[in-house]
Amino acid sequence: MEITQKEENGIVTIAIIGRLDADSSPEAEKVVKESLGGQTTRLLFNLSALEYLSSAGLRVLLSAAKEMRRREGKIVLCALNEFVKEIFEVSGFQSLIPIADSVESGIEILS
Amino acid sequence: MENKNTATESILLVDDNPTNLQVLFQTLDGIGCKLLIAKNGEIAISIADKALPDLILLDIMMPGIDGYEVCRQLKSNAATSGIPVIFLSALGDTEDKVKGLQLGAVDYITKPFQPDEVIARVNTHLTIHRLKREVESQKDQLEHELEVVSAVQRKLLPKQLPVIDGFKLAVHYETSRYAGGDYYDIIELPDNCWGFLMADAEGHSAPAAVLMAMTCALFRSYPGSAADPAEVLHYLNEHLCKVADPSFMTALYAYYDANTQTMRIARAGHPLPMIFSHSDKKAIELPCPGVYPLGIEPYEIEIPVTETKLEQGDRFLIYTDGLTERFDMGGKTYGEARLLRLLATDSADDPRGVISAIMADVVQFAGERPADDDQALLLGIVQP
Repeated sequence: MEITQKEENGIVTIAIIGRLDADSSPEAEKVVKESLGGQTTRLLFNLSALEYLSSAGLRVLLSAAKEMRRREGKIVLCALNEFVKEIFEVSGFQSLIPIADSVESGIEILS
Repeated sequence: MENKNTATESILLVDDNPTNLQVLFQTLDGIGCKLLIAKNGEIAISIADKALPDLILLDIMMPGIDGYEVCRQLKSNAATSGIPVIFLSALGDTEDKVKGLQLGAVDYITKPFQPDEVIARVNTHLTIHRLKREVESQKDQLEHELEVVSAVQRKLLPKQLPVIDGFKLAVHYETSRYAGGDYYDIIELPDNCWGFLMADAEGHSAPAAVLMAMTCALFRSYPGSAADPAEVLHYLNEHLCKVADPSFMTALYAYYDANTQTMRIARAGHPLPMIFSHSDKKAIELPCPGVYPLGIEPYEIEIPVTETKLEQGDRFLIYTDGLTERFDMGGKTYGEARLLRLLATDSADDPRGVISAIMADVVQFAGERPADDDQALLLGIVQP
């Protein structure tokens, strides 16, 4: 897994590439936590290059969503591939965290 | 570095030259450890084996077996292989140093040495060795504790499967480490009705085992109607929300009326149940709308309940995703499609046969790669 983060126009974007599973989730969790260190209230996950997501990975995204809710901010997950989208639907997470088809529409949801 | 050496620690000094040995002895006399000496390789190996020192300072050029050979023999003996060895030699070429380190030595000091340097390096390696032993002992302790947790956990699972009139059951349960987060349970209800629960705590080991045990306690003390799958999940969720954060638990509860062969299912983040239809000879994932997993937040929506009628010879499978997300050597997952194929295995309606076929196929698929996650399956087949 590779994970990058940037901040632009008040939106923190975290891009996750590869596999988010039990092996990589501690590192992802750390990066997400650091990214939320400031007073960010707009968080966007670019998951266009996310190939695999396990329940440990879902927990990382869930923690971020909970944190954003606590600070009355907004979070959106963008550009999930079919496999990851299906995991979201079957696991019921789509009712907890908003999903957007593309990064552009994700930015609109946050704005 | 602070000197924490104790008299219970010992250092073995090996040199064929009595003067060198004496200088070394004087150099290290004040560091607080017991000093042992050997004047050739054979004696060094014999003392090391008996006294198991905490560190060995080893000369290379000695008559008889040389320091390299001594090191090789110490490293090939399980009792002495963990003792750190520092080579001490007049040979100062990089090649000699590399050879020594490749044989498993932790350090190399060139003669003539500076006493302060020897003391500093000895103290460093004694500290490292001490910390290594502590970590190993803590690891043993932790593993022992997890074994205890695992043994308790096994007792929480049904001791044996009930015999249900008209519905034959089989189960498979294995944890990837000592303790796991998978849980299944079966409760008997009046009038040949039954409640099946399959649940999976996110994560493994001790934290998952705690959630699993908690879910078991909640399920067994559930005061409401076990015929109402939505209420069962509401109840579990309400209580798990107080403790699970930041983790969660996926679950599927199915209420089975063996008289009418109907299943009523509610699902919280858990994989869909699979059904093999005997008449169609086809296995499918039962479309079964659900809610997010237990332990995250209260459900403000109604939990959907799916009702399905089974026919004679139909197979009903609930499982945890450790099975479908089992990896092979190349990192591919086993997947639902392959599990569906296996569920349709020809087996003369014996659920144990079907489960054995599934697990054999999973093991074959995974090859050398061990399971990363716990795996549980519960299968029922409608009998005449």
